[in-house]
Amino acid sequence: MQSNLLEMITIDRRSTVDYDLQLKESVKALILDQSFYYHTVLPTSENLAKHLNISTKIVESTYTQLTSEGYLRMSESGNYQVSFFELTRYFFDRNTAVFDAIKSLGLSPSIECLEKKLVELKNDDLIKIGFDPNNGNQFLHINRIYKGDNQPIMILENYLPISVFPDIFEKFNGEEPLNAYLKSHYGIRAEISNRIIKTVNLSAKLAKLLNERKNAASIQSTNHIYDKFGRLIDYGQSHSISSYYFQALIPKTEMKEYFPNAFK
Amino acid sequence: MDYIKIDKLITTSIYKQIASGITKAVASGLLKYGDKLPTEKEICQTFSVSHTVVKMAYEKLISEGKIKRIKGKGTYVTNRNNFHTSLHSFYEVDIKNNDSDIKYSTEVVLFDRIHKDYSAYRAMKLENGEKCYKIVTLTKSEQNPIVLQKVYLPEKHYPNFMECYKSFDKLYDFIEADCCNKEIGNLHSIFSAINASASDALLLNLNADEAISFIRTKIENVNDEIIGYVCSYFPGDFSEFEVIVHAI
Repeated sequence: MQSNLLEMITIDRRSTVDYDLQLKESVKALILDQSFYYHTVLPTSENLAKHLNISTKIVESTYTQLTSEGYLRMSESGNYQVSFFELTRYFFDRNTAVFDAIKSLGLSPSIECLEKKLVELKNDDLIKIGFDPNNGNQFLHINRIYKGDNQPIMILENYLPISVFPDIFEKFNGEEPLNAYLKSHYGIRAEISNRIIKTVNLSAKLAKLLNERKNAASIQSTNHIYDKFGRLIDYGQSHSISSYYFQALIPKTEMKEYFPNAFK
Repeated sequence: MDYIKIDKLITTSIYKQIASGITKAVASGLLKYGDKLPTEKEICQTFSVSHTVVKMAYEKLISEGKIKRIKGKGTYVTNRNNFHTSLHSFYEVDIKNNDSDIKYSTEVVLFDRIHKDYSAYRAMKLENGEKCYKIVTLTKSEQNPIVLQKVYLPEKHYPNFMECYKSFDKLYDFIEADCCNKEIGNLHSIFSAINASASDALLLNLNADEAISFIRTKIENVNDEIIGYVCSYFPGDFSEFEVIVHAI
């Protein structure tokens, strides 16, 4: 396996581009196209340097740079390991629970509750979010970190109306998957999720919680979740670690919908 | 700072007068994205008004998203058009928004024939040395960059490229047009968040390190061959992607 990885990393000696830049691009490309998948342990600096016949310093500095950019991290055994991954199609076409998405990556999922309290929202805020002020202004506010193998992946903040879930503050402990809880305890299913996705720089506070540097780029998703009657049952916002990404595949069968002109 | 005008004898509060002066200057184009505003102290001294009043004016504008304070640097105009699209159609920036009068214009900033590129070649399964057209385009709405796109089209799939190539307003139409005659099969996109590199920031009119929505799209033909690769860079603060997902 190790020798295989070595073969895949290449530099071009004829090129005028510096070796460290070439090496960085080469490793990065392997990570981005998933040849080096999440958790892959990279060759040691010494082995790679020997294989490419360059100095260990260049490899070491490349690994350090890729670590600061979120592609790699130092594992407990002192090796560099790929820290870049995707949650398969999570955002794109199905309302998969984050918890299950993490599990499907082969990681052991867990949820840490940072905050759980009853709050009263102002009428203006209710209207802005889309809640009907006539149904009361009391909400359960929870702020939770989803982890995989104990590493933070996503922070998710939710507002749940007490008018829909009367005793949720007392009963919900904050550390279970939310959608499953709502279904089993209230018989209410999160049917539709409307998401606005954008990329933001992490604040110092969020960065610390996600083990990132301040200003690291993060995918933010603002979610309105509705039940089958179109009732808004949950409003939330998530921030993901910077190495998080997701895929969107538009298959042949759906092409028509997206390129109406091409199929006239 | 002649765009700020204060009349202390009228009942309109001074902070509103300061804020409205700046708002008007932004609206009229006198102040543009990235322009530096006077410091609070400068306004205080020029107009003999209290610090609190200026602070209130700036805070109002910050909450409205018109200006932004950068620690240790100053206060800057951040007013830019937001780009909002469905997550499914982000790659079609040439879409004409019928229900708004926002106009997009796309210009080619780099046109090249390359023979290597680590990330793109790997994505397209090309060997170093194989020729590939690279077109970098910048799409703007008024003076605001909306998206920077790096388009890669391997020469082997487009032998008549030079004859066909006119403009890149509509990439997907171009690929499917008679001359290239490719039928697009799958589109495979990966959406991720990156920090702007110095050169990307320059083209997108951002500061280095600001967040960018980075989307890599592999274009496959009906035989699952990769016939193109597009890297799109959207300024994070000004771009939103909407998607509706249903429970399984």
